[in-house]
Amino acid sequence: MKIHVNEQTLELAENSNIEQLLIYLDKPLMGSAIAVNQEIISRSHWADTILNEGDNISLFQAIAGG
Amino acid sequence: MLFDEMNKNDQLVIGDKSFSSRLFTGTGKFNDQQTMVAALKASQSELVTMALKRVDMQHRDDDILAPLIKNGMKLLPNTSGARNAKEAVFAAELAREALQTNWVKLEIHPDPKYLLPDPIETLKAAEMLANKGFIVLPYVHADPVLCKHLEAAGCAAVMPLGAPIGSNKGIKTADFLEIIIEQANIPVIVDAGLGSPSHAALAMEMGADAVLVNTAIAVAGNPIAMSEAFAKAVQAGRQAYLAGLGGQSTQAIASSPLTAFLEASL
Repeated sequence: MKIHVNEQTLELAENSNIEQLLIYLDKPLMGSAIAVNQEIISRSHWADTILNEGDNISLFQAIAGG
Repeated sequence: MLFDEMNKNDQLVIGDKSFSSRLFTGTGKFNDQQTMVAALKASQSELVTMALKRVDMQHRDDDILAPLIKNGMKLLPNTSGARNAKEAVFAAELAREALQTNWVKLEIHPDPKYLLPDPIETLKAAEMLANKGFIVLPYVHADPVLCKHLEAAGCAAVMPLGAPIGSNKGIKTADFLEIIIEQANIPVIVDAGLGSPSHAALAMEMGADAVLVNTAIAVAGNPIAMSEAFAKAVQAGRQAYLAGLGGQSTQAIASSPLTAFLEASL
C-alpha cells in the first residue's frame, strides 16, 4: 500500500503499524512524534495503530534548540 | 551561615520539580554534539531546552537525546516555529509524545527578524495548555501585566526576555523585569539576550529565580569554559541577592572615618 510521510510517498506492507514504519524508516523511537491524518498518536498506541492506504503521516523529531 | 550550607537549601521549585542549579541552558547552535554535551555538563544545568522539527526524510539527524538523558538533565521542549496559539498547542502535544514530558517552553514568535513573542497568542496558548495539564513556561516580553495574566492562567513560571533572542545584548528590560520579579508569585526566569556572565549575574542580583542561556555559551570561543563562567556568575548573583545588596546613593558615604589627624600633625 502507498502512504505519505512528510510529503514523500512510500510503499509499505499491508497492515503495518506505526512502530514498524519507524523501524522501516530507520528513525529512532525515542524523541519521535507522529501524527496520522493530523491526529497525534500517543506512543502507547504505536504498536496497535494500523496504517491504511493513503494515510498522511507527519513525523517529527526532537532536535537541538534554545 | 556559610554560603555552601545556605546554597544546599536554596532549591528552585517549578511545578513538580526542584532544581539546585539556577542556570538553564539551550542545546542550539553548538558546533558539534560533543562540545554541546561537555558544555552543558560544565554548566551543571539541570534543565535544557530542545526544539522539535518535521523530519527531513533524506537526512538522519544526530541523536542528541541519549547523552542528555544519561547526564540526568531534564528536557524542556519548546514550541519554536509555532506562529499562533493553535500551532503552539499542536507542537506542545507532539513534544509531549516525543520527549515524554508535560513540560513545555511556550514560544510563539511569528516575526523572524526580531523573534519577539506574540503576547496575545501566547496567553491564549498558555490557558489552553495549562488546562490540558501541561507545565507551561512561556517566553514573553518583559511585560508585568502580561506576566500576571499568565500566572492567573496557570503557568508554572514566566520567562521574560532581557533582549531579543541570540542578540547577546544583555538586560535591556531591567526596569520592567524588576516589576515582574516584585509582583510574581511564580518563578521568573530571565530568558533571551543574556550575552555574558555579568548579564546573568545582574539578573540574579535583581532577584530573578533563574536564567536561561544558549547562544552566549554555544557561540563562545570556548563554550565549555564559558559554560563554567556562567555557572559561577549565576551562583555569585544569587548569593549576592540572598546576602542583600547595599543601597545606592548619589552622594558619597565615607567608608573610613573622616578624622582630621593628617591636618593635626602638621
